[in-house]
Amino acid sequence: MTAANQTIARGATPGYRLSFARLLRSEWIKMTTVRSTWWSIAFVAVLSVAMSLLLAYAATSAAATDGAGDGEAIAIDPLSTILGPTQFTVLLAAVIGAITVTGEYATGMIRSTLAAEPRRGAVVAAKAIVAAALLAITSAVVFSVAALATAPLLAATPVGWGDPALSTVPILFGVLSMAAFALIGLSLGFIIGNGAGAIAATVGLVLLLPPLLSIFPSRASWQWIHDLGDALPGPASQALMTVGTESGLSDGAALLALAGWVAAGLAAAWIVLRRRDA
Amino acid sequence: MIIAEGLTKKYGDKSAVTDVSFTVQPGKVTGFLGPNGAGKSTTMRMIVGLDRPTSGSATVGGQHYRRMRAPLTEVGILLDAKAVHTGRSARDHLRAMAATHGIPNRRVDEVIELTGITAVANKRAGGFSLGMGQRLGIAAALLGDPSTLILDEPVNGLDPEGVMWVRRLVRHAASEGRTVLLSSHLMSEMAQTADHIIVLGRGRVLADATLPDLVRTWTTTTVSVRTRRLPELAHAIQRHGVTVSQNGTDTLKANGITATDIGLIAAERGIPLQELVPTAGSLEDAYLALTGDSVEYKTKEIS
Repeated sequence: MTAANQTIARGATPGYRLSFARLLRSEWIKMTTVRSTWWSIAFVAVLSVAMSLLLAYAATSAAATDGAGDGEAIAIDPLSTILGPTQFTVLLAAVIGAITVTGEYATGMIRSTLAAEPRRGAVVAAKAIVAAALLAITSAVVFSVAALATAPLLAATPVGWGDPALSTVPILFGVLSMAAFALIGLSLGFIIGNGAGAIAATVGLVLLLPPLLSIFPSRASWQWIHDLGDALPGPASQALMTVGTESGLSDGAALLALAGWVAAGLAAAWIVLRRRDA
Repeated sequence: MIIAEGLTKKYGDKSAVTDVSFTVQPGKVTGFLGPNGAGKSTTMRMIVGLDRPTSGSATVGGQHYRRMRAPLTEVGILLDAKAVHTGRSARDHLRAMAATHGIPNRRVDEVIELTGITAVANKRAGGFSLGMGQRLGIAAALLGDPSTLILDEPVNGLDPEGVMWVRRLVRHAASEGRTVLLSSHLMSEMAQTADHIIVLGRGRVLADATLPDLVRTWTTTTVSVRTRRLPELAHAIQRHGVTVSQNGTDTLKANGITATDIGLIAAERGIPLQELVPTAGSLEDAYLALTGDSVEYKTKEIS
């Protein structure tokens, strides 16, 4: 046993103080030292790449069959095979964002976090930046791997890398969307504070609300509901990733909508964290 | 120095803490004593800004906790419940805490060794025993080498060796001029560790005094005397404020008079004494006298 009188003091402690960069480093350590982070990321990566391969395979088979039938090849959108899985993986991104917060509430870690940095705004900001960065890096890698993996299958209709509007820009929007969903999930985690509740709210917002709003009759009096439906995070992010705007919002409007959700979520998270006892 | 001024915390209609004011001096161990539900933890959480007071305020070293720019070097906190992510190893938890203040990993290793958790430092905190969890909490509290320690039930779940270790740790910290506030519902522990006691009951300060003062004020000293000339002695010490009760044929118990005075009176009159035993009250007696009406969860007398 170490004796207490071995000294708990180390003399002066110059330079031990808070800074935002240090807070980011702390949050990064926290994020990367729990296994659930790595499990979730591995799950997102495997699911996303596997779905891209399946989509590419299905598209080429369909094109081959149709081509044999009426002698007219169906146009394959190669980008949609890379970004298509985001319809599901944005939900996972949001869940990852939520559990980085609710995990702290469930274990009591949030009290240690707020003891080390009592300014609530800084805590929300640091957690948000780390979660967004993690999901952005992950999805950039995942999309690159998916592009490489599907390239042999799509040899006949390759991605038009020469034109950023048909390649890198939609993929960057995909990366941005994954980060935005992580932030929306993180905000719901702070607002609700409990893992099951935050995940339920995330599923509701991402999966249930868009089809629910689309049920409303296509009449002028209900148009605002459909406009709102287009501005939900899911449809807005899909509009960003789809080349051409045959439906939904324009890129600018979709970016604005997504940014609005993120900003509103983080602001609400900050207000809740300031007021609630930890 | 910790200064609490009129701290009040209400949850709806129910008051957890009501108008609590006190000062915790540096260089001493101050004990926060009170039954479960007395408001000890709530008061401590308000001091470090985790709970917002309904009214009143608290400062540590003259600063509000929420405004501190290096809180880990000012205040080391151990909270009652574990405040550690169960999926993270002890070392990673401490590294993450240290990183917020730019505290180097060398210091993390130091507090791990100091608190005796080296063997389990790389294990996930979720699997820790209550005692190991307490040691990890204390390690986190010591990270920034803080000038104030606020420890909520630090000996909870520790084995006797751990209890002794915490006692030496806080005594040593106080001897270095640090401010130490620790809570406990264990009176024997408080009696051995604290210099100054703040007794809380039902969310109010019932007493705020040094340990000897507290015991003196809230207990009575009884002197037990055995002599063959009992009636003579009983008559001799009978005076205002002294109560005497006979206990058996040759023993009496006197309250309100010191053993010294009884000895002198007996000597003056040549009364031989076979026994002269003063029985001082204990912190336990003082505590029970103080909190008798303020225990939230009363038990029924076992007949």
